Amino acid sequence: MKVLNKSKLIEALNVLSSQQEVFVPIQRESQSGYFSWADYQPERDELMLEALNVYQSPKNVVLPQTERMYGIISQGMEVDIDQTFEDAHPTLIFGARGCDVKGILAMDEVFLTRGFVDSFYQARRANNTIVANACYAPGPNCFCTAMEVDPVEPVGADVIIHDCGDYYAWEARTGKGEAVTAQLDGLLEDKEVKLPSAQPFQLQVDYQGVAEKLKDMFDHSLWDQMAEPCINCGMCTYVCPSCYCFDIQVKMFGEKGYRFRAWDSCMFEEYTREAGGGNPRGASKERFRQRFLHKLEFFQERYGTPLCTGCGRCIIVCPTDVNIARIIKAVKEAEVE
Amino acid sequence: MNEAKKGMAIEQPLIPTVVEVIDIVDRTPDVKSFFVRNTDGSGLPFQVQPGQCGMISHLPVGEAMISCTWQEEQEYLEFAVKRVGLLTDELHRIEIGQKVGVRGPYGNGFPVEACKGKDMVFIAGGIGLAPLRSFIKHCFKHRQDYGKITIIYGSRSSADLCFKEELFDLWPREQDTQVFVTIDNPEPDWDGHVGFVPAYLEELAPSPEGAVAVVCGPPIMIKFVLQSLEKMGYADDQVITTLEMRMKCGIGKCGRCNIGSEFICLDGPVYYLEQLRQLPAEW
Ligand code: SF4
Ligand code: SF4
Ligand code: FES
Repeated sequence: MKVLNKSKLIEALNVLSSQQEVFVPIQRESQSGYFSWADYQPERDELMLEALNVYQSPKNVVLPQTERMYGIISQGMEVDIDQTFEDAHPTLIFGARGCDVKGILAMDEVFLTRGFVDSFYQARRANNTIVANACYAPGPNCFCTAMEVDPVEPVGADVIIHDCGDYYAWEARTGKGEAVTAQLDGLLEDKEVKLPSAQPFQLQVDYQGVAEKLKDMFDHSLWDQMAEPCINCGMCTYVCPSCYCFDIQVKMFGEKGYRFRAWDSCMFEEYTREAGGGNPRGASKERFRQRFLHKLEFFQERYGTPLCTGCGRCIIVCPTDVNIARIIKAVKEAEVE
Repeated sequence: MNEAKKGMAIEQPLIPTVVEVIDIVDRTPDVKSFFVRNTDGSGLPFQVQPGQCGMISHLPVGEAMISCTWQEEQEYLEFAVKRVGLLTDELHRIEIGQKVGVRGPYGNGFPVEACKGKDMVFIAGGIGLAPLRSFIKHCFKHRQDYGKITIIYGSRSSADLCFKEELFDLWPREQDTQVFVTIDNPEPDWDGHVGFVPAYLEELAPSPEGAVAVVCGPPIMIKFVLQSLEKMGYADDQVITTLEMRMKCGIGKCGRCNIGSEFICLDGPVYYLEQLRQLPAEW
């Protein structure tokens, strides 16, 4: 099997970075997330390939937090669109965990299927390669296997690397994966490898039957209890690898400007507030319920898979200790008339 | 830009086509119809079926999903826009000749085929007549395909009645068609019916036998009309209505317009009542 010796990791990232923009998990001051390797500064940044999980998921690579869509020229009656901003520059996510890869696969379903193909997402995604980092030792808040993710051999990865101590076993899985493997010609070695053995999960979650059961729980009192602490801050949606909802806004500087989109959150009151003032999800509980039903029921109904990938991020960041694993458990145990 | 965009609408669904406003008609004090066509005068940016919508944008300000009217042989699209917020306020200020953006068509539209052979009962309130009007016009254009047509329409006041020429002049002259108009409160110069739409509907009591009722209007009116129809014996598969949610993308991506696993922009806005009953009670 091919392996990448850890002593050659930096060199490998440099080589890859010369061919495409490479995003790696980095701790940068108080932030952690997938940042461009080209901006890596050893005195400021720490490479976090071992972390479960960095604060931000890599979703920003295919769905940036804000993204320009098209340019507008507005001169009174005469208005025109002068350019569009589909960004097709090649990118590579290095070290994504299976849960984050699944998050991107879920977004593929949203943006690339069901009648319309989103040209902005497609441009980025078509030119994006994923090198996934296999998980053998799940963290305290991980429950990906309960959410249809294989942490060791994640579906959707172009390359899977396996941390074997001094080296990464390197396994190309797709044509794109072969292409980046070829870029590392001379850096990868052939070696007999012994893969680590998988450790058990600390958090036990059973999602079996939850989507079906939720169909009859829209008005269940469980939502009142569960939503009670939530302050609708939106942190959970911000860090989630599969939360994809966005807003579209315009910015004008005199006669010129552009329309852009930006991450939005179902936790915000403005999200569904209508121009006339009405709001079908005006109450905090209604928004809370929407988030968890979207994750656990609605997405499953529409796309055949849950929209939670079990990464555990929302459990960690929530300031009020809302915990999706506990919600799943509560649904399992709830009595439904 | 427009040239490059033509034929590419599907490849870049979020990018509007720039069109020209060729006419603006005041429908009521707060509803205006905007007629648009391609900037080179060559006709339509896209075609729409009755009940479908389009995004109209005053490009430097914002976009809104609006019910869109078009009929075969018509060289323009019509958007009837009610002034309700920032964007629609700005739209109401534009003048003929203004370039605006449009994208679409969006949504499923009315089941015009499935309704063939039925007596049609159209029930609308306020601006809700705009989407129904496309369906009504479709019925008149294919008059032999549909049975008796009953139109029941109401608004707050006589000034708020949309499409008056059609209501009072054109439609009543169509074969086997009855048009009933009501306003909420009495007015000195109004000799028509006074009262709310649901009560008027029950009073008129169009028979459910072989009929389909199509309902569109403010959510509160829809709610009571649905109750009235149920009382009158209309089954859930004889009632069609439209849902409204805030929209941004129009193509099932941005997330906000869902009710359960349905995206109203893409899968709706038109539903049979029997379909609605399967959805979480958020509508
Ligand atoms: S992070 Fe916690 S408090 Fe904030 S919106 Fe999410 S569930 Fe609510
Ligand atoms: S809902 Fe929470 S646990 Fe699930 S994928 Fe999103 S952040 Fe991770
Ligand atoms: S308006 Fe974006 S999903 Fe419906």
